[in-house]
Amino acid sequence: MPHRPKRVAVTSPQTRLAHLRGRARGRWRVPRLDPDDAERAAVLYRKQRGQGLLALVAGMAALAGLPLVFAAWPALDEVRLWSIPLSWLMLAVLPYPTLAALAFWQLHRAERIERR
Amino acid sequence: MATLVSVAAVMVVTLLIGLHGVAAMRTTSDFLVASRRVSPLLNSAAVSGEYLSAASFLGVAGLVVRDGIGALWYPVGFTAGYIAMLILVAAPMRRSGALTVPDFAEARLASPGLRRLSAAVVLVIGALYLVPQLRTAGLVLSTVSDLPYWVGVVIAGVVVSATLALGGMRAATYVQAFQFLVKLLLFIVPAVWLVVVVGPQVRHAAVHPVEFTRFPAETAVEFQVGVTLTLSEEVTVRSPDGTEAVLGPGEVPVAAEQTLVFPEGAPVPEVAGGGVPGGERWHRPLLNLSDYGYPLLATLAVLTATALGTMGLPHVLMRFHTSPDGRSARRTAAFTVALLGVFYLFPGVYGVLGRVLVPELYLSGVTDTVVVALPSQVSGDWVGVLMTTLLAVGAFAAFLATSVGLLLVISGAISYDLLPGGLRRLRITVLLAAAALVLLALPSAPLAAGMLVTWGFTVAASTFCPLLVLGIWWPRLTKAGAVSGVLAGLSSTLGAIAAALFGPPLEGWQAILITQPAPWTVPLAFATMVVVSLRGQAPPWSRTAMLRLHLDEPPRSDPPNR
Repeated sequence: MPHRPKRVAVTSPQTRLAHLRGRARGRWRVPRLDPDDAERAAVLYRKQRGQGLLALVAGMAALAGLPLVFAAWPALDEVRLWSIPLSWLMLAVLPYPTLAALAFWQLHRAERIERR
Repeated sequence: MATLVSVAAVMVVTLLIGLHGVAAMRTTSDFLVASRRVSPLLNSAAVSGEYLSAASFLGVAGLVVRDGIGALWYPVGFTAGYIAMLILVAAPMRRSGALTVPDFAEARLASPGLRRLSAAVVLVIGALYLVPQLRTAGLVLSTVSDLPYWVGVVIAGVVVSATLALGGMRAATYVQAFQFLVKLLLFIVPAVWLVVVVGPQVRHAAVHPVEFTRFPAETAVEFQVGVTLTLSEEVTVRSPDGTEAVLGPGEVPVAAEQTLVFPEGAPVPEVAGGGVPGGERWHRPLLNLSDYGYPLLATLAVLTATALGTMGLPHVLMRFHTSPDGRSARRTAAFTVALLGVFYLFPGVYGVLGRVLVPELYLSGVTDTVVVALPSQVSGDWVGVLMTTLLAVGAFAAFLATSVGLLLVISGAISYDLLPGGLRRLRITVLLAAAALVLLALPSAPLAAGMLVTWGFTVAASTFCPLLVLGIWWPRLTKAGAVSGVLAGLSSTLGAIAAALFGPPLEGWQAILITQPAPWTVPLAFATMVVVSLRGQAPPWSRTAMLRLHLDEPPRSDPPNR
């Protein structure tokens, strides 16, 4: 008998997810971890928590700090760079590269923690 | 007219893709997705494509015209949301294997009750997020054509639900990623063109705001919603058919769907609930929320809601599951921050130019249309028409991308979590949900866009944010704690929204804490969850259930083609 490949339904990821959700409503099982995995997970959890807190504090300081700077130094509205008020540039442009840099720093650190 | 035709073309193409999606579009591109693992960069373009909604495309620029430069804090918060997602949620959520927050709730805490509660919260967030989308789509349609607002909203609702019920073009990561590029181009090209052609005078005026006190030329103002104007002196206005009327002084109600022509040099009336464009508060880089004062509080309130709410948006969370593992989910979140940053450099350009060229929009009570209104002010020839068309098409693409994804999540929550049923049930649910949302959107045209946009985020920030953050990082979270925290966050936020809509008018900081309640509802939800959990006892497997989320996958040794 010739070998016939198994037929596979090809659907969109979201349809697949929806079907999975419909089917996967089985019984809930008590989560288990191998002792080795549990140990590694505990170490990763502690390190990621430390790094995450650091990044979170840095992000919050940057985000909440900028409005405080604007409130404390209204004179920034009068300083102009290429005839645009400096405070406008600090709000419309500055946050995005800063956030992107923070994102890549956090990504780098989080991946380094997981390196084996 | 050309613009309306193009928007109609976009809608027809969307419908056709929906119709043929099952056979052609979906299979091909998903075949690609299935056989070649989706790279984080591609996936983050898809996430951004789904995330950039009509509120980002049109709403932010409109808010800048209305409330001032400080409105640019909204996109900062929208972007910062992905930082919070990256740090706290992306990888563990992917590793949990849960597809939605209701799934996560059941996997982490083994509580079917919490699952149903989370599904109900998905409905609330989805509705609060979709209503402003429908509103903006309706406003744009009624701007580029002569249709009244309600027809625009109904058409938008029909297109979205028909697309989804007929098969849903969605899905394919490639389609979404392509959508992001389209939106980016359709937003940036007209912006650059506008800045170049407006000329040095307008450019100078754009960065040197002066208060909008007198009409510099004869100006026709189209009132899409009814507003009350306050006039300091008598003004003789004309209707387009030539009849003249004397308004004021004092308060003058203006009915919706009316056009008034103000003569040159006439004083600009004031509108309740907004500062004057170009005024003292307008040029400050802090959020001026409906002229309530306390700009620092308003800024931090909006930042809290948007930055913490993003991680709870159901349609975005779903997208992260196209990533093969936790590590690439994390990369996806990081790349998304960079991609969104490029897009959000431009709403401010439209905002400051709109303040110079079409400040009268703020009188009409609805500034969301400023982006689409700009090109025709600058150039009357075919280039202007072309640019208007590009922007209208982009806005509609943005609206469709977000709305279809959200409507799918809403319908999924109803037909899988709340009332389990088959695919047929799902399709009927889509139509019913869309009809209900259109009914909600019809009376919401006069509401402040800034308020509407953040409400969905605020509910997400006060319910799913504490649930996900504590569920992922705190082993002692209990079922009872999670349920009571979500209930506390949901009821307090909905209470504040009801008070903002139907309560007595408020002033000052009370008004800010009612219209933007995140600064107190988010801590309240976190505190409730922690206190109730500490009074109970987490089950013995709780720590394992949490640690499992932090265990990285073994490095892949199998070739990319499974």
